[in-house]
Amino acid sequence: MTDQSSGQKKMKLHGLLGEFKDIESILKASAAIRDKGFKKWDTYTPFPVHGIEKAMGIKKSLVPKIVFTCGLIGGIGGLGLQWWTNAVNYPWIVSGKPLFSVPANIPIVFETTVLLAAFGAVFGMIFLNKLPQLYSPLFTSKNFSQGATNDKFFVYIEAQDPKFSPDRTRELLESLNAVTVEEIEEEEHAWSPSLSPKMAWSIGSIVFCLILIPPLYIARAQAKDRTTTRVQLIPDMDQQPRVNAQAASTIFVDGRGMRNYVDGTVPRGGAQTNTGYYTGAENEEWVSNPLPVNRALLERGQNRFDIYCAACHGIDGSGNGPIAIRAKRLREPNWVPPLAMTDSTVLERPDGHLFNTITNGIRNMPAYGDQIHVEDRWAIVAYIRALQKSQHATLQDVPADKREQLREEGQK
Amino acid sequence: MAKRLENDTIDLGSTGASFLKMGAIVGAIGLAIALFGSFTTEMKLERFFLSYLVNFAFFLSLSIGALFFILTQHIGRAGWSVVVRRVSEGFAANVGLMLVLFIGVFLGMGQLYSWTNPEAFANDPILQGKQPYLNTQFFLIRILVYFGVWILLTQYFLRGSAKQDSTKDPKKTERMQMVSAPGIPLTAITVTFASFDLLMSRDPHWFSTIFGVYYFAGSFLGYFSLMAVFFCFLQSKGMLKETVTPDHYHDIGKYMFGFTVFWAYIAFSQFMLIWYGNIPEETVWYIRRFEGGWLNASYFLLIGHFIIPFFILLFREIKRIPAALAAVGVWILAMHWFDLYWIVMPESIKGHVGISWIDIACFIGMGGLYLAGFAFFMGRKSLIPEGDPRLEESLEFKNA
Amino acid sequence: MATTAVQEIDNTSNDPTKRPTLVTGGLDFNGVTETVCRVAEAPSAPKSWYFLLVIAVAALLNLFVWVGYLITTGTGVWGLNNPVGWGWAIVNFVFWVGIGHAGTLISAILFLFRQKWRTSINRFAEAMTIFAVMCAGLFPGIHVGRVWVVYWMFPIPNYLNMWPQFRSPLLWDVFAVSTYATVSILFWYVGMIPDLATFRDRAKDKIRKFAYGLLSLGWKGSSRNWANYEWAYLLLAALATPLVLSVHSIVSFDFAVSQLPGWHTTIFPPYFVAGAIFSGFAMVISLAVPARKMFHLENIITLRHLDIMNRIILATGSMVGYAYIIEFFIAWYSGNGYESFAFVNRAFGPYAWAYWTMFTCNVIIPQVFWIRWARVTPWFMFIISIFVNIGMWFERFVITITSLSRDFLPANWGYYTPTYVDVLTFVGSFGLFLTLFLLFCRFLPIVAMAEVKATLPDAHVYHPEEDH
Repeated sequence: MTDQSSGQKKMKLHGLLGEFKDIESILKASAAIRDKGFKKWDTYTPFPVHGIEKAMGIKKSLVPKIVFTCGLIGGIGGLGLQWWTNAVNYPWIVSGKPLFSVPANIPIVFETTVLLAAFGAVFGMIFLNKLPQLYSPLFTSKNFSQGATNDKFFVYIEAQDPKFSPDRTRELLESLNAVTVEEIEEEEHAWSPSLSPKMAWSIGSIVFCLILIPPLYIARAQAKDRTTTRVQLIPDMDQQPRVNAQAASTIFVDGRGMRNYVDGTVPRGGAQTNTGYYTGAENEEWVSNPLPVNRALLERGQNRFDIYCAACHGIDGSGNGPIAIRAKRLREPNWVPPLAMTDSTVLERPDGHLFNTITNGIRNMPAYGDQIHVEDRWAIVAYIRALQKSQHATLQDVPADKREQLREEGQK
Repeated sequence: MAKRLENDTIDLGSTGASFLKMGAIVGAIGLAIALFGSFTTEMKLERFFLSYLVNFAFFLSLSIGALFFILTQHIGRAGWSVVVRRVSEGFAANVGLMLVLFIGVFLGMGQLYSWTNPEAFANDPILQGKQPYLNTQFFLIRILVYFGVWILLTQYFLRGSAKQDSTKDPKKTERMQMVSAPGIPLTAITVTFASFDLLMSRDPHWFSTIFGVYYFAGSFLGYFSLMAVFFCFLQSKGMLKETVTPDHYHDIGKYMFGFTVFWAYIAFSQFMLIWYGNIPEETVWYIRRFEGGWLNASYFLLIGHFIIPFFILLFREIKRIPAALAAVGVWILAMHWFDLYWIVMPESIKGHVGISWIDIACFIGMGGLYLAGFAFFMGRKSLIPEGDPRLEESLEFKNA
Repeated sequence: MATTAVQEIDNTSNDPTKRPTLVTGGLDFNGVTETVCRVAEAPSAPKSWYFLLVIAVAALLNLFVWVGYLITTGTGVWGLNNPVGWGWAIVNFVFWVGIGHAGTLISAILFLFRQKWRTSINRFAEAMTIFAVMCAGLFPGIHVGRVWVVYWMFPIPNYLNMWPQFRSPLLWDVFAVSTYATVSILFWYVGMIPDLATFRDRAKDKIRKFAYGLLSLGWKGSSRNWANYEWAYLLLAALATPLVLSVHSIVSFDFAVSQLPGWHTTIFPPYFVAGAIFSGFAMVISLAVPARKMFHLENIITLRHLDIMNRIILATGSMVGYAYIIEFFIAWYSGNGYESFAFVNRAFGPYAWAYWTMFTCNVIIPQVFWIRWARVTPWFMFIISIFVNIGMWFERFVITITSLSRDFLPANWGYYTPTYVDVLTFVGSFGLFLTLFLLFCRFLPIVAMAEVKATLPDAHVYHPEEDH
């Protein structure tokens, strides 16, 4: 810092730059400098000169090895990616192909191989060449920056090379027919920063914190509950215009969003012309079970009865279902105990009446018409009759050929 | 340049004579063993003809590859390849011999091609539709047309180039370049249809539009491998020692590498599209090649014809050592032969690969005749086109 | 200097006794630098440049309008419907990807084949590649409908816990085209680093110096750097070569893995690649002929370059013709009624006009390049190249539309017509392409100076150390 305050930059020799007139002379010069044992030196040409690597003694580039390795990683990685995603993590059969279909995976394996290998070539080259290198003392030479990328050929020997000596190296370059030899100088503290590290750190931290504000704000806004619709950059059909039930609408003259049925509309299954079947009564008379009673119907009835009725009426129809027992125990004041199926009132009621009771309910018993299908209600009625019979039957009710069997089973 | 040529042996000399004599003897014996040996097998004569077709297609492909090589080098005005062109002209001219050898295929047509049998058409509406194309007369006419085109072209290039040896007329080179332009589409079309006729029609139901390109890819690859082997052989006999340098081998090696990849590309395109489409009339051809022992043969083809040469030829050093490159060439030639075996056989030998000593005898026999044919067509001609104006460029060629 | 017209020099001779000069007018190293840099350094561009830029920007704005309309409204604004669910979007996509292929071919494949003439045109062919791939990527990108979830196509872990379907050729496309775009940009950029350094060193004002300085990464042309650089460039070329084959092969898989007659055929991969190179070279001619005139590059992009490119157009056009013939033959030979119908329908069905336009432009018209005069007359080859571009667009149209419009059930047959949005979007993609290209011409080195210099006779001397 003291040098700068004195107002004069202290320069030091960085190296010697020799210009050569053509390729032949630079190739010869390179070979000579190589033979002298210099290490920190380089040549600069506007295009790659054939044979100069050999003349300078440059080792074979590492780029091919990097590319091969990257390509191998890309190929194996590409196959692994497809195997893991399509055969393991998210198996999904498509057009009858195996989950892990190598022939169908080859194209992508190829592409990932090439992609990674190309990255290896480009970034490997940039890395090996220590690019980007935006500053170099060579740029201070006008001759260099006007010629090196245009039509001139240079040799540059750095002062740091152990063999370097300002005079002898200059003589060497001149003896090799250099057109000009130029001294390249560099400020002793070329990179003296005008910002102290402490200041840089604090400014950097503040800027970093400021940058964080917008994303944090958005994250918070996304997480918070709100009553209004969020701002949606991409609506994605989340908000669609529609008429809610019972809402008003300006489309219709009466201002209502919902429409009445057209006169005479019958809902699906609503044309119940067979009133006896659907209500249990016809011409003000209870009907008897219209379905043919057979084993299938009874089993269906038992199944439905056990699901819907047994909770109160009990599995055996005795009126001792778990709900009834519990209500009794709790001494519920408003509880009307369910009737036993063998109760005389039930026994005497016609089929249609029982059907009607199931459909519309009675006293505490709710209506089951909406839950149990018509056919199933008749099946339950048939089953109730069977239950009743099971409690009131005599041996005479059993078919003659089964009586013996029943007797034997009873003795066991 | 002149000095290098003077110090070098640039003609076949006595080797040519021994090629001619030994080749003919070995050829006669080999084919005779194969022919009579076939009677010891269950398939009798059919086994011989199958083997004959494989080897015929193999040696034909080498000559066709050589013809393509000449044509492409002329049209590209290539300089590097001048020193290896004369030998290619010799091998290409061997299609003349292949026409003679076609007699064997002709005699075996009844066994080789099911469509020669009228009964095949009786209850087969699809084959009936193909009858205008698949019949013996038209087949023979087409074969004659193909060979006519090839013989005209190969003789033109061989003789023209040989004449230039003495006249040193650069105009001749210009003319050959001009002829090569229409020569390429002509050869492409004839080779395609020849591969349809000779190989694809083994299963008269099956079809694949890429088949001609597949045969071409194998031919070109096969010929480059043959070059590597043959020049290494010639140099071991003391010929062209100064003329053909590692730089030329390097370029041949690059082409071998490139066409190994190209073959794989074409083979994959054909297989993958048929596998993916999964249409029975197409998959049947591959299913035959995936049954029993043929499945392992198919994997072997993938590994031996593509993966092994691919990784070996990646190395620059191997391409620059003649003996190493020749070794790779032998391997690729063997795989190319096996590729053709894999194409021809499964229609007749099902469930197992069944390579036998008959195939080997037949190969040696036809190979002997092929070398004799080469020596016959080369005659006393120089091994390099001495009159080519780009000879010097080729001699000085450096492969960066 | 910028106003003097350059004399055309015929260097197309094929005298086999000597290699022709690739750069005419006796340019030396500095001459190359001057000729190329002058394009970007001139205080004002040629009038025609401004004229074209206005047109291009107008077309680009038009593109924004129709893409915006599509995104806000939905893909129903296009002419897509059953049975043709793939229309102009895929046709344009394949068209533009194909255009790109010539750039990579020139820069990579010809590099491997040591074709030194490529150095004059590779830079701007590569730029063409990148801009064409951008145009190509646009179409499937907007075709997906909900463009904001387009990232679902990449294997990025997401809240749906789903992964892309890697057995789908459409996903291969995503990988192929994005890899291709990335590698092309890298290749282009790496090639440009030395030339950007030249620009930096010649820059007069601070902004240019800063911008080019940053872009050139401080390149100085050190031989130690060149050694790594040359390997990287060679390997990039070696990687880009199979890559370019794979890209159009994978594009062809989109069609060929299906079971649709006319799409499912094994020759598609090489056939598409040949077609792509064919159309790409036509586009290079369409761009190079006016550009060399506009920027006075006749000594660098010489008649010989144009001659060779026209030969390649002829060759690849013939390959495409080969594929047409084989396809037709096998369609008959297969004995499959659907297959043969598809091809008869192409040639004689309702889209026969498109088929014959394609056939004429792709196979017949390029045959004029057998004549030398046609290959070396810029205005004439420009017209032919436009025809080839039209023909190759129609090729993709024919493949896509004719097969889709004829379902297996005749009840599902239909006839596809594009809407005005389709047409104007396609026109807009040319706006994008041209705008980028014109800006490139003005602000970046349009010829690879370092590479051209390496091909000049002065760059080749006898090296005593190299003698064997």
